[in-house]
Amino acid sequence: MSIDLKLDKAEDTVTITVTGDIDMSSSTKVRDALAPLFKNNSKVIVVDLAGVSYIDSSGIATLVEGLQWSHSSKNKFRLAALSPGVKDVFEIARLLSVFEVFDTKEQALVE
Amino acid sequence: MSQPIKLSIPSDPKYLGLIRKVLQELLTCHNVPDDTARRLILCVDEACANVIKHSYEGPCDEPIEATFTIEGDDFKVQIRDYGKQCKSDQIKPRCLEDIKPGGLGTHFINEIMDEVSYCTDRAKGTLLTMIKKLKTGLASTEDKR
Repeated sequence: MSIDLKLDKAEDTVTITVTGDIDMSSSTKVRDALAPLFKNNSKVIVVDLAGVSYIDSSGIATLVEGLQWSHSSKNKFRLAALSPGVKDVFEIARLLSVFEVFDTKEQALVE
Repeated sequence: MSQPIKLSIPSDPKYLGLIRKVLQELLTCHNVPDDTARRLILCVDEACANVIKHSYEGPCDEPIEATFTIEGDDFKVQIRDYGKQCKSDQIKPRCLEDIKPGGLGTHFINEIMDEVSYCTDRAKGTLLTMIKKLKTGLASTEDKR
């Protein structure tokens, strides 16, 4: 099960678009892509999850790490376009309200 | 379903997607609603990931045997490994109030499944048995919150 990661950098923002399942075999790749972003000057980091239909606890852990890094670096860390399945996993983990979650990538970049 | 479906995968994370796909097909065959199927697949994935992390602790060529049975309203899955054992009372979810990475897999299993038991009464490894009442489906998960 492969995963595809795409970075789009703009002036003050960076969007990481994830496509594929985020599980134990792929969450390290997401983590490796996320970590350097918090050392840049981007004010807002958006993770676009529109192409992710499955996430497990290792994927959730990676995003919680991102949230913690954002607290240290003062970046805004936002999640966008969660599929019903992904949103359900966040809800079972009782973490949905902990993140800034937007319906679309565009909303996450504007607000 | 008179005969259980058995699948053995190596303890390599790259095969977790395979077990998820097989289970998805099985649950679709039995007309299990998508929401319930997604949660059952999550539990099986997390159980296998726990075996890889905590029972085998690294090697990718050890066996993980999954057995799926649907009898009446019961969906039963058993996950057998031959790795390190730990006492069943040590396998417990962490406090969710503490927002930190990791440790959610056991919480997902306990939250979603109706019955969960770990048996280490054997020479090597653990047999995890999880049962979900399909008729009650998502309602029983909501009730647990």
